[in-house]
Amino acid sequence: MSAQAAEPASALLDAYRRHPARAGVDELLDEAGTRPHAEALAATIAATGLPGLLAARAEAAALVADEGITYGAADSGVRAPWLIDPLPLPLDAADWAGLERGLAQRAVLLDAVLADLYSTRALLRGRVLPPAAVLSHPGFTRPADQVDDPKRRQLVLTATDLGRDAAGTWRVISDRTQAPAGAGYTMATRRIVSRVLAGLHRTSDLARLRGFFHTMTGALLDASQGGSETPRVVLLSPGSSSETIFDQGLLATMLGFPLAEADDLVASQGRVWLRAGDALEPVDVVLRRVDAPLCDPLEFRGNSEVGLPGMIEAARRRAVTVVNPVGAGVLDNPALIAHLQPVAQALLGEDLLLDSPATWWCGDDASRSHVLARLERLVIKPVARSGPSAVRYGWLLSAAERAELAARIGDEPWAWCGQEPVELSTAPVVTSGGLEPRRFVLRAFGVAAGDSYDFLPGGLGRVAAGVGERTVSSASGTLAKDVWVPASATERVEPERVRPRLVVAPRESAVPPRVARTLMTIGALAERAEGTARLVKVADDLAEDFSARPGTPGAAASAHLLEAVSRITGVEHWYAESALGYLTRVALDASATGGVHSSARLMTAEAQEVRDLMSVDIWSVFSRLERTLAARPALDEALQPLLADVLESLLAYAGIVAQSMVRDSSWAFLDAGGRLERARHTVSLLRHTLVADGDPSAELVADTVLRAGESIITHRRRAAAGTGPARAAESVRPLLVHDLSNPRSVAHQLAALAADLRLVGDERLAAQAESLLPSVDAADDAGERLDRLAEALNALGARIASRHFVRQATRRTAEPTWSTPRQVV
Amino acid sequence: MIHGPRRYLVRHVTRYTYDDVLEACYNRGLLQPRELPFQRVLSSEVVATPPSELVTTHRDYFGNASVYLECRTPTTELEVAATSVVQVDRQPPDLAALDAWTVAGAAAAVAAGADPVDVAEFTLPSPLVVSGPAVRAYAASVLAPERPFGEAVAALTHRIFEDFRYRQGTTSVRTTLAELLEQRQGVCQDFAHLAVGCLRSVGLPARYVSGYLETAPPPGREKLQGADATHAWASVLTPSGEWLDLDPTNDHFTDSRYIVTAWGRDFSDVSPLRGVVFTEAGTSTLTVEVDVDPLPLAD
Repeated sequence: MSAQAAEPASALLDAYRRHPARAGVDELLDEAGTRPHAEALAATIAATGLPGLLAARAEAAALVADEGITYGAADSGVRAPWLIDPLPLPLDAADWAGLERGLAQRAVLLDAVLADLYSTRALLRGRVLPPAAVLSHPGFTRPADQVDDPKRRQLVLTATDLGRDAAGTWRVISDRTQAPAGAGYTMATRRIVSRVLAGLHRTSDLARLRGFFHTMTGALLDASQGGSETPRVVLLSPGSSSETIFDQGLLATMLGFPLAEADDLVASQGRVWLRAGDALEPVDVVLRRVDAPLCDPLEFRGNSEVGLPGMIEAARRRAVTVVNPVGAGVLDNPALIAHLQPVAQALLGEDLLLDSPATWWCGDDASRSHVLARLERLVIKPVARSGPSAVRYGWLLSAAERAELAARIGDEPWAWCGQEPVELSTAPVVTSGGLEPRRFVLRAFGVAAGDSYDFLPGGLGRVAAGVGERTVSSASGTLAKDVWVPASATERVEPERVRPRLVVAPRESAVPPRVARTLMTIGALAERAEGTARLVKVADDLAEDFSARPGTPGAAASAHLLEAVSRITGVEHWYAESALGYLTRVALDASATGGVHSSARLMTAEAQEVRDLMSVDIWSVFSRLERTLAARPALDEALQPLLADVLESLLAYAGIVAQSMVRDSSWAFLDAGGRLERARHTVSLLRHTLVADGDPSAELVADTVLRAGESIITHRRRAAAGTGPARAAESVRPLLVHDLSNPRSVAHQLAALAADLRLVGDERLAAQAESLLPSVDAADDAGERLDRLAEALNALGARIASRHFVRQATRRTAEPTWSTPRQVV
Repeated sequence: MIHGPRRYLVRHVTRYTYDDVLEACYNRGLLQPRELPFQRVLSSEVVATPPSELVTTHRDYFGNASVYLECRTPTTELEVAATSVVQVDRQPPDLAALDAWTVAGAAAAVAAGADPVDVAEFTLPSPLVVSGPAVRAYAASVLAPERPFGEAVAALTHRIFEDFRYRQGTTSVRTTLAELLEQRQGVCQDFAHLAVGCLRSVGLPARYVSGYLETAPPPGREKLQGADATHAWASVLTPSGEWLDLDPTNDHFTDSRYIVTAWGRDFSDVSPLRGVVFTEAGTSTLTVEVDVDPLPLAD
């Protein structure tokens, strides 16, 4: 696109140009018109028009729902969706290249600061940095002192929050080095924007994001200090209750390393190990997404359930490398920003390329006076950041609040900084009323590469939740922006710097007990949802046909089936509840435990726990399933089409598992869960539909059972060919229990289960699974035999759990209360 | 007071008993005396029963010997025994020399002359020593800016001794200094924290010292109050660059009966033994036994 291209005529753009909330610096427009690097975007806006952009916004939201991209803590089981504005934010190539140089210098500098603060502390002793500004910071982690080799690269990952000021210059607002989050969200946002604005994306030659993750994989492997050819890396996650669990899961997938929670790991012999069945596999590098105060309950907060006792000792012994190091949070400190210029001179002999807004640390008398005199114009930041609410915007405070703040600063001056507010740039956001200017911040992500750092091209853009907001804080519903950097801006990187160290032999990932349990539960819940949906479907068919004909064998069969549904699912049939009403509840009521919707919800929740092992396609299947089940059809509307949709989704799930997953231990546990559940369900179905021979409804019930067991066609074909019994009642047990060739039979499930157990190395339980088969062969005493089989299946499930799902014992902290020794005489 | 060389055998045994199996336990202890100009460590070892698979010691941030014990042998009882032989030779502090400074003068001299890291580390509030208005007011009544420094520190030691009753079980690690000032009773850890808080509130770097005190009274002398076998006291940085140890629990400066194991900003930095155990046990009992036995001085 040439710079002379005529401004696209567009009412949408004209209105945006005249919008009163547009800042002095806007990312799309400058005084002359569209910024040259944003012309393609402007043309797309003009050509698409508001209805098209709103459709793109809706499509983005639908894709977010499909992929299950969420942010924040779960509120009664539901998490807020990640919010995306469909318009990308293009950056100029030279602008990005300059920013990247500044970020690289800053990362090298912060790495050197980190090494100094946990070794000689020359910066403090020489008063380049005021000691109180560092030592009062809760991120200064005394147990991490001397843990890392100061000569090694310590800061492997960086994250930097930036904004563009009124002069158009990038300013660092804060550093986020504790456990940087957001690279996964950046990738997810790119995937979606590139789909909803596919045309623009295709014609824009963008720097790809994937290379950054390759570099990160290499950097993590390089961080290993052991001698292993193929270091094992795990991403230590606080678990699915974490606000950024989506980010962690996607990051783990991109990197090719497993997510691990505290229960998956043990410290032993001064090392960290991943629990894999009965075995322990050594871990060389821990990518830490658990904040320092929680990461080792022996050294810090004793009550942390998400940390690993002994991890810091293992790190001190250099048997494991923790990334970022446990003490890295000390760098997230506005007081450091206030002194970074002299620190850069002292450590690098350079001026900072990338500056911050003017910042004053109140521990210094002159700075404090300056801040106190200008409270109403400054952003007041506590040195110890504890949530965004702790930051105060002077201009928003009442006189009384300012007086109170001044008193607090007077009491503990070292704990406060004042910072010049950045008059952030604006960027257009699609709203139903047109394009709205919103304040924009950028989080840039860096990773150690060679003797410098590489950066995710662009990074995670975020814009304010509302048009009038001067700041952008993640707490208040910000929108994500896909930040576009042209490929030409990153080509200068020398190839050897981005070459990741490849894993020589990709190994099968070990399955810790928590993961094994979760996978087996997912498999079981998917099967339960499917089995229940089929059962409801046939019961509904019968009810529809016969409920209006009381006294007939059909009505008796229908009643029998309804009773069976209630027994099998455990969902009670209320007094005077119609058959359709009851079956609809079993299918759709998410609070009916044992029903289809409830099982599907539980399955999705469990899948969140092992996000790194789930195929991306799974999420859109789950999302479609949830949408189907959440529909509330009118009572007189047929349940059948809805159940057909449900079964279609569940078959799609089964197809992905069958066709797209490598046959490793993870798959085996997932499959085993489904096999055991199908066997149990089938036995339960037969047990609760036994009808005395000669009962006029027997044949109809048997026919229905064969339908529920997907075996009616086989029955009919065999009956017609004379290779099977003519009566359905006589076909039920041979087909659904014994027939090894029927993929719905109990025998088939047990054979498959045995194969799964062999795949996870459990020959003993595999043999036990197979040994259950002969016991179902005899035909008399059907009820009793089925009961015994059901018991045997439950016992097998319990044995699998006790051998493969063993959680570590509960942790307790032990600390003598003070001053209780016996008196020595 | 006892000055001049003394030698001791110190045995510090901590025993945890649980009503169910411990599957694993991890412990960190600060149980071994420090090597100091006035304190020589002749021998020191930490032994766990059942034996730990890993016992390793490093110097922590404060220079204390920090021992890590890891045990993954199933057991219902764990014992950690630290045994040390130590020789202490302390002289009485030269208070007259310290009186050359006023309290304010000493604070200024220390701030200007001492290691800036020490000054900041031990003057800032710490997790268990937060000096609010109550502490500041209490300190101001003793540590007046113009008061001679040596005299003021002795007066602080005496004042806490006079104002507070030694009583076990009335305080815990969670007791704040404000609550302590309210209730006027506590144990040596509380009094050490209070002294540290008071000293910091007037700008003097002060640290919390944990160790042992020989409690057998010399013949004909009064039994020391607060005869804890594990003991805690306070220490203040003086303009001469030396640390002056004061024991408000017993109303005097430390002498050769005091054995230093560890120091830090407060108790939270130097807890003698803490652990994380993996167990389904519902109840546990803990006993701590400490013996400080005088040994004959070698020739």
